[in-house]
Amino acid sequence: MRVIRSWTPMHLAQLTLDWIDERIGLRGLITASLHVTIPRSAHTYYLGGITLFFFMSQAVTGILLSLYYRASPESAYDSVLFIMNQVNFGWLIRSVHAWGANLMIVFCILHMLRVVVQGAYKAPREVTWLAGIALLFVTLGFGFTGYLLPWDQRAYWATTVGTEIPGAVPFIGSFLRDLMRGGADVSAVTLTRFFGIHMLVLPASLAGVLMAHLFIIHQQGLADPKEDETKGAAK
Amino acid sequence: MSQLEGTSEKKLLPFWPHYVLSEFIAWYVMLGILITLSALFPAGLEEQADAFKTPAHVKPEWYFLAVYQFLKVASIFSFLGAEAPKLIGVIAPGIGMALLALLPFIDRGPKRPARRRPLMLLLVIVIVLVFIGLTVWGQVG
Repeated sequence: MRVIRSWTPMHLAQLTLDWIDERIGLRGLITASLHVTIPRSAHTYYLGGITLFFFMSQAVTGILLSLYYRASPESAYDSVLFIMNQVNFGWLIRSVHAWGANLMIVFCILHMLRVVVQGAYKAPREVTWLAGIALLFVTLGFGFTGYLLPWDQRAYWATTVGTEIPGAVPFIGSFLRDLMRGGADVSAVTLTRFFGIHMLVLPASLAGVLMAHLFIIHQQGLADPKEDETKGAAK
Repeated sequence: MSQLEGTSEKKLLPFWPHYVLSEFIAWYVMLGILITLSALFPAGLEEQADAFKTPAHVKPEWYFLAVYQFLKVASIFSFLGAEAPKLIGVIAPGIGMALLALLPFIDRGPKRPARRRPLMLLLVIVIVLVFIGLTVWGQVG
């Protein structure tokens, strides 16, 4: 416990933080997370972090959109029109969400290319790579399910042809397609299904896998692109 | 790298605040790009969905366009049988994704720097070009 010399707001804040930390002990965890070192020659170009930034932006704008969006064929389109025309800055929130979705996928791919070119996926980082692949799939799932939600012509027909791709899988293709659509065609069932996946299943999945991805990176530190996986083994 | 940084300990940078600060600067630039793009090119909205009115050019999102286009052009394999185009069209990208997921278990060589792995570098460039090519083809075709 620190010695409090005077009752200034700063000291009161310090006292409060100390009181909380004595009970939850978070300070050690934060110190352990931040006070690590990275190789000077590691050039990540900040691509993974930028992908994380877009995800956070998607979460914020997505929650705001969900306050006005109604997931049914009768009202989805009208609710998006309402967001665009009536809600204060609604057009901006929706546009940031749409651009953010595309940019998140772009930076996901760039991040992956960086990791491949620098050979950062090699042992002992295989699990980090697998978690990254899972994150890519979740991100693509976000894009695919989110695209249907405005329920306009582009959304409807993009989903129709998009679900044709798994429909071409041998033997189980038509089963997969009908499972995704919730029937033979894209319908009200598809919309509520995609909405539920987009709003609940994928965010929860992404949060879990992302924590694993970041935790393993923290445990191992960044790969040094200038050094081989096991020094001397290649010589 | 300067001569002074001889020992391995000096080749390290603190994550906090050095790396975090640079990352925040990158985020700030991205925020600017995001707002600028959104303000200049707001998200559009076409007519309400109509299951009985198929538009002229139906396309999936750009990131699925390459796979979709490949599925379309796989019809050239029809000489192998009636089911061959669909089979190859969907199985080839599937195998590609599986190989990508298992990359660390396939490429087990210890060499890390890109300069010393020219074959992998070439493969990456070819795959990126094929992906871009199929996407553009799908967009204009």
